[in-house]
Amino acid sequence: MGVLRIEPARAQPWSPRSLAVIWRSFDLQLTIYALLLTSIGLAMAYSNSVESGGSLFARDSTFVRGLMWAGLSMLVLAIATAFDYAWLKTLAWPIYFTNLGLLAATLVVGSGVGGTARWIPILGLQFQFSELAKILMIVVLANFLASRQGKLDSIWSILGACMLVAPALVLVMLQPDLGTSLVFVAILGGMLFMSGASLRWLGLLAAAAVPASYVAWTYLLRDYQKARLLSFLDPSQDIQGAGYQLYQSQIAVGSGGLFGKGLTNGTQDSLNFLPVQTTDFVFAKLSEELGFLGAVVVFALFVALIWRILVCAWRSRDPFGLLMASGIASLVLFQVVVNVGMVIGVMPITGIPLPFVTHGGASLISLGLGLGILQSINMHQARAEW
Amino acid sequence: MNTVAQEPPASDRRPLRFVAFGIAVIIGISGLSARLFYLQVSQGVQYAQIATQNRTVQQAIPSTRGLIFDRNGRALVRNEPSFAVKIRPVDLPLSQRDAVVARLADLLRMDPADINASIDENPGSRFDLVRIAQDVPRDVADIIAEETLALPGVEVDVETQRQYLDGTLMSQILGYTGAIDAAGLAKLKDQGYLSDDLLGKAGVESTYEAQLRGTYGLETVERDASGRKLQVLETNKQPVAGDSLQLTIDTHEQQLALKALTWAMKTARLKSGVMVVMNPQTGEVLAMVSVPTYDSNKFATGISQKDFQTYAKDPNQPMLNHAINEQYPPGSTYKLVTGLGALSDGRITPTTVIGSHPYILIGATRFWDWNHAGFGPLNIRSGFAHSSDTFFYQVAQRLGITRLAYWAHQLGFGAPTGIDLPGEAAGIVPSDNWKQNTFGQPMFEGETVQAGIGQGYDVATPLQVLNAYCTLANGGRLLKPQIVRQVIGPDGNVVRPFKPILIRKLPTSTSNLVVMREAARQVVTSHHTYNLVELPIPVAGKTGTAQFGVKDAQGRLPFHEWFVAFVSKSGKFAKPDSQLAVIGFAENANTVGNVATEMVKYYLQLHFKLKVDKRLPYLLRKGNFYGN
Repeated sequence: MGVLRIEPARAQPWSPRSLAVIWRSFDLQLTIYALLLTSIGLAMAYSNSVESGGSLFARDSTFVRGLMWAGLSMLVLAIATAFDYAWLKTLAWPIYFTNLGLLAATLVVGSGVGGTARWIPILGLQFQFSELAKILMIVVLANFLASRQGKLDSIWSILGACMLVAPALVLVMLQPDLGTSLVFVAILGGMLFMSGASLRWLGLLAAAAVPASYVAWTYLLRDYQKARLLSFLDPSQDIQGAGYQLYQSQIAVGSGGLFGKGLTNGTQDSLNFLPVQTTDFVFAKLSEELGFLGAVVVFALFVALIWRILVCAWRSRDPFGLLMASGIASLVLFQVVVNVGMVIGVMPITGIPLPFVTHGGASLISLGLGLGILQSINMHQARAEW
Repeated sequence: MNTVAQEPPASDRRPLRFVAFGIAVIIGISGLSARLFYLQVSQGVQYAQIATQNRTVQQAIPSTRGLIFDRNGRALVRNEPSFAVKIRPVDLPLSQRDAVVARLADLLRMDPADINASIDENPGSRFDLVRIAQDVPRDVADIIAEETLALPGVEVDVETQRQYLDGTLMSQILGYTGAIDAAGLAKLKDQGYLSDDLLGKAGVESTYEAQLRGTYGLETVERDASGRKLQVLETNKQPVAGDSLQLTIDTHEQQLALKALTWAMKTARLKSGVMVVMNPQTGEVLAMVSVPTYDSNKFATGISQKDFQTYAKDPNQPMLNHAINEQYPPGSTYKLVTGLGALSDGRITPTTVIGSHPYILIGATRFWDWNHAGFGPLNIRSGFAHSSDTFFYQVAQRLGITRLAYWAHQLGFGAPTGIDLPGEAAGIVPSDNWKQNTFGQPMFEGETVQAGIGQGYDVATPLQVLNAYCTLANGGRLLKPQIVRQVIGPDGNVVRPFKPILIRKLPTSTSNLVVMREAARQVVTSHHTYNLVELPIPVAGKTGTAQFGVKDAQGRLPFHEWFVAFVSKSGKFAKPDSQLAVIGFAENANTVGNVATEMVKYYLQLHFKLKVDKRLPYLLRKGNFYGN
């Protein structure tokens, strides 16, 4: 019943011919959509740097840091692409415990805003391991659910997956980072659904979530978290407090109009009415400066990206690959809906970044890793036609 | 190749679930797009407006405050650019407040308590600026402007500040400008006053605030989220400069009056006194001095708590203009009311003779003459000249309290004169009605006779006494004393020209007024005022010594001294042609002779540039003169 499984190593040598085949199965579209989204994020970082008046190429300007993270992220993508994803199944447990260790370390030595513990400094840069944890959790869950093939009608498969996620979720909640813990739940749900788990049990579980969230609301959430969660319902209620960001971000979005004010011309952000404009609220800046049309282009890119990820899942003859891709698709979809929903005032404020666009090192690198694994899955399927 | 092993089990791929996922994606993104369309396209115009309002703010442009000149066009005040340090409380985090206040106190050389007091007494809301310091030196202003990041919420503004060119000489007349307080802001907010505004707080700066201030303009400025002004986008309304004032005051006369008053105060070692000079024909105040006084510039530059407390705790009340804000028993100067009233009502004629006695008896109480021997038989002229108390007791008895009060009101007692200075006292004219309302009793006869000589319940301001004698001097026209001659617009045109304002014409005959003027002249010629008669100018007047307060060990009361005089232009007192009337007043003046007479004499010598010096300093020694 062990969840650990040793895959037979692939003995076949790499040959020039097979390399060409491999390259053909590299999903160029997937990478291009991701690159375009990242470029848009960089454009926003550029706009921010111009507006804040500092030197564009100063070492600590938002734009330069964004460029650096994007470069690192592409490197990670390349390495992960070249890496045979099958090893991930072998390494699933070490990855799982490393992941928990990193999250625990974040709690101990991490720093953050207002008494939270979210970032660990590495080489002078702040790194948020909970972003990496999302991808690592997908790997672990994919491995677990793949090993439960044929037993997915059982409630135990679902409960097992939940048990796997629970420790990481608790560690993230303790930081406290409500948003990221919700992403874990979304990934879990998406992967269980795509794994073919019993809909009956999933439905029951979803029903059970209602009283569970009541308990969480009453006993687990802190007052500021509740205030943030509720403020989206009526931002004007608390305009100087939790509602301020929401109110200002809706003004930014609304004032962008159809065509936007043009890159670097946003007044809401350049005059600092808009808080955290290059990170969680980057979409507000984007829609202020690029307008409805710009936002629709971004949406289209996300739809295309998710489509390519699902194609990867579909093509995978290996349940691990399917699940891995499903997890990443769930992650991207959930984060887009929640982040954009937050900016336009239909979702509560949570610290969830907009995938690829948000200027944030950990998020970009983790996504690079995720896409790299997907490309690895793509290419290793192609080696045996079916 | 074992391709079979690579074939995924059929159960692995569930097309329906892929479709379901795809639908979830489409629903999610469509929902976001719809909401975005609503915000950006349907509501875009409204949000664009909000964004514009967000970054712009309408801000007042202060107008140039009008200037103040003396009657000869000499400037008395200047508008000086100066740096002011202000705090917007909402931008100053509580955790940093102590550090910021300490740093500011250090830079501004202020007491941190003063800064904290200013922040706590903030007249506006937490979003409005609070004035902390004015008249900040340029180098200090530069440092504060540089340290913006370390001093959150602190701003440096350039504004104009009043500089009063003669320091203390005119302080009681000009007043000063100062920061608006909470009560003032509540009243004036609708008129466009700002939380960090300056406004006139005393003197003509206060009474003519509306004219001096002008009209503030309005500009639209771009600001960032922390409220910092980035640039002016548009001027919506140009400010209109305030009107300027030309005072009736003659700086030279003011200096002479101050010189005379200061000499008398110093020689007699007194603390508090008043001298006012008027033109009886027009009601113009030519000089008005009240000592001790304050320095207007200390207020205009933002007075420290310590300096303010020094002024506030001084028992001689330097912040009050004793010529109008305080009221005193007028003593024998009030005999004008009794005498003129009795003549006008026909209770006496100019030739009626009444015997003066050492005292008169009312019931069992003796009402003494100041001269305990009495003067024998007297008529109105000699009675006034000797200032016989028993004579005027009997005249008051003949007149009765109701008519006495009537004539007092006719001469301007018991009501503010209406001079254009703030806080004028009304004085008290006792009557049956007044006493019934105040004490629930009618006047007793003893009180009536006291009222007839300006004692008892009678109180008046020095200006009221002077104005009553001006009315005598000008032939019975009670004029409103004025201290601002003209209001001049910023373009130099006269907005409000000068004209005398008649309050009433006395309902008496010219001959009665002639009798009283001649009686006043006889005060001087009879040597009641010592050697004043030796001045080569025709002066008439009336002395007064008014007891007040509590008796000392010898049963003597402290007293104030008065002398009110007017100079005849033609030398004939039958003519109402006086153009100069002066009052001298010394508070709590226990001296051998009448200090007030000496100071008026000295002023007249200075005014007429007389070569003779008839001052009698020995009269100003400490003693216990009590002679009306």
